[in-house]
Amino acid sequence: MDINSFINGFMTSLEPINIMWVIIGGILGTVVGMLPGLGPATAVAVLIPVTFGMEPVSAIILMAAIYYGAMYGGSRSSILLNTPGDGSAIAATFDGYPMARKGQAGQALAISAVASFIGGIMAVIGFIFLAMPLADFALKFGPAEYFLLMLLTLSAIVSLSLGRMVKGFIAMLLGLLLSTVGIDTQTGVYRFTMGVPHLSDGIDFLIVIIGVYAIGEVLYNFLTIDHEKKEKKEVGKIWFTKEQWKRSKWPILRSGPLGFIIGVLPGAGGSIASMISYSTEKQISKKPEEFGEGAVEGLAAPESANNAASVGAMIPLLTMGIPGSGTTAVMLGALIMLGLRPGPLLFENQPEIAWTLINSMFLGNIALVIVNILLVGLLIKILDTPAKVLYPIIVLLAFIGTYTLSYNVIDFFLLLIFGVFGLFMKVFDFPIAPLVLALIVGADMEQNFRKALLSSNGSLDIFVSTPVSIGLVILTLISLFYPLVIKAFKKKKSNNLDQSSTP
Amino acid sequence: MKKLSVLLLVVLLLSACSVGNSGANKEFPTKNLELIAPASPGGGWDLTARSMQKAMRDNDLVDKNINVVNKPGGGGETGWKYLKSKDSHHLAINSSLVLTNELLGQSDLSYEDFTPIATLATEWQALAVPVDSEYESATELMEQLESDPKSVKIGVGPGLGNDDHLSIVQAAGEYGVDPAQLNFLVYEGGGDVVTALLGGHVDAVTTSLSEVKDQHLAGKLKILAVSSEERLEDLDEVPTWKEEGVDMVFPHWRGIMGPPDMTEEEIAYWDEKIKEMVKTEDWQKLVKNNNWEDFYKDSEESKKFMKEQHELYEKLVNDSGLVK
Repeated sequence: MDINSFINGFMTSLEPINIMWVIIGGILGTVVGMLPGLGPATAVAVLIPVTFGMEPVSAIILMAAIYYGAMYGGSRSSILLNTPGDGSAIAATFDGYPMARKGQAGQALAISAVASFIGGIMAVIGFIFLAMPLADFALKFGPAEYFLLMLLTLSAIVSLSLGRMVKGFIAMLLGLLLSTVGIDTQTGVYRFTMGVPHLSDGIDFLIVIIGVYAIGEVLYNFLTIDHEKKEKKEVGKIWFTKEQWKRSKWPILRSGPLGFIIGVLPGAGGSIASMISYSTEKQISKKPEEFGEGAVEGLAAPESANNAASVGAMIPLLTMGIPGSGTTAVMLGALIMLGLRPGPLLFENQPEIAWTLINSMFLGNIALVIVNILLVGLLIKILDTPAKVLYPIIVLLAFIGTYTLSYNVIDFFLLLIFGVFGLFMKVFDFPIAPLVLALIVGADMEQNFRKALLSSNGSLDIFVSTPVSIGLVILTLISLFYPLVIKAFKKKKSNNLDQSSTP
Repeated sequence: MKKLSVLLLVVLLLSACSVGNSGANKEFPTKNLELIAPASPGGGWDLTARSMQKAMRDNDLVDKNINVVNKPGGGGETGWKYLKSKDSHHLAINSSLVLTNELLGQSDLSYEDFTPIATLATEWQALAVPVDSEYESATELMEQLESDPKSVKIGVGPGLGNDDHLSIVQAAGEYGVDPAQLNFLVYEGGGDVVTALLGGHVDAVTTSLSEVKDQHLAGKLKILAVSSEERLEDLDEVPTWKEEGVDMVFPHWRGIMGPPDMTEEEIAYWDEKIKEMVKTEDWQKLVKNNNWEDFYKDSEESKKFMKEQHELYEKLVNDSGLVK
């Protein structure tokens, strides 16, 4: 680490104009993250013309702040409305929404902001000391490792679907099926596009998220809107209890580094990080049966992980000039226009820019946790909003968000189709997350599997050829068979009890 | 009834007016101008359109407002279809995809459906290998491919049939290797291709020079050849394909085109404006920042250029074995 550049960067990040950009970016990111369908990539892209006249360093600070700000904001709508704003906020619905149903909305919002903060700060510290070695580690991930990482992510479906395993796997298969729509990269063949050129890029998973969650939720509530009880909903305190903190503390501290490392891998990102952290916590928890019913650590862990991942994603961008996610790809384009070329020469030629950004992430996370905690009191009012006002607004936002994805009305039809689909899934009690998760990772998983086999001339040995891949295989196996292990473990335990109770 | 007939009269008068206007083309442009980026905000096409917008606006080149519209999808198809239905106030960014989409049988739109306006800038294609690669030169790599075309894993992105892929198809063909036999791994984009090379997951890549230039200067990988006519200023140790015995100059160009049936006056208007635009400091700076090179051709030259390129790409697509 270069101390002089670090201090220079620290001073630059403290300039009033840059503090202003951090705060503006953070708030903007929180807002777009909250709104279904509007994500950080869209927000950064829309701001590109604004950055034209800016100093490159201010531009990168602003864009990064939007990115991690959206990680804070994303879980707000997951918790309050069961409609995630982005792929990385899906895991926050699992326990965040049940917490809100139990009258703990305020606590849920507060703990997720604090978890995001801790995850973010851990990742910034990790960035300072580990950026270079981690960038090298990320390069070890070839097609085989990526395939296995995505398989591990999908294996989380087992723990998500406990009690309704068959339904979970049906949902997953549907998601994988949908992910094959579009042009096949390895051969250039069009699959299931039905002559619609718009479909050649595949079905954007964000449309499916907005459809099955937001539209599906609205339709589902519409079925019961007139029977709704008039009682005022309990929103709970706006700060979490000591007991809740005690339960979340270690999950938050574990998930931060986990999310950070997954974030460094180009192409993995927040969705995968939050999902793996959730399923890990569920598997090692002493009370796994509480997950999905409003377990506070089930919300805190993924929130810590996805924010850490957004910081980690800056590493390949800054050290190699390689964008690891949709948002960082847009950022790269904008930075090049400004004459700043992230890459291996950045730390040599313009180290102060890199260090200014890193320091601004410290400030940004502090600003964001304050803003988001202050917002808790305001946000829980959403729960008091009459359904007849709230749901039309959600539908409107869903359409706006969908339109910004590709400026094409064909997506509206997809949105409605998936909305109705989501309704049926809710009515018939299918878990939704496996569908969306499979769609998010499906296409990449397939392409990486095929690339791996192409490069090994068809031999499956490539999936166990490196320490990383062997590790991933073992983790996947544990994750897949953990329900059986738990069962066996419990049986043994009860057997033991039986034996000890019999004289 | 009376109201209705008055209304009808007004409508008729109005439409007569507008017909009169578009007849008198001296007035062109009569309304706001639109640059279509057939891609999402943030991508290369979008940034090209936005830079043109900025250069034209800041230098007061056009009297009317000039807007950028994003129409992503289908490798440009959606945006170009949209352009086809519009009038001469609309232009769209293009690249060789406007040729290959049709040649690969992925689109019914032909380059001849549009009016070439200008060719703006180009990038060059680079052949790169890991820093510890056994291949010291492009010729050595080609010799290896000649003895066993499948033995070298070549990374390209984001799809078969685009310039990354076709540039090595052409190079191999010129050298006497059957390009259809080559072993390609297709990655999502230029960044992923470079990661794969740095991690040693592929043996060689062909990609835009800007993707690998900094890595080469930092000593993380080796560029063996560039597809330009002559050696490049800041990379003068890297030979061209021509020097390596492969007779090929391969530009990865971007241009701009208008809808079908533009009048000569309208074409002349855009010719004049874009000729001025590419000279502006704003545009030159952008070209430099992006590692592009000036490749300006006016509408007449672009028309000829497109025809030549079409012939070349037709041959390359056939050689590649993508279309049977």
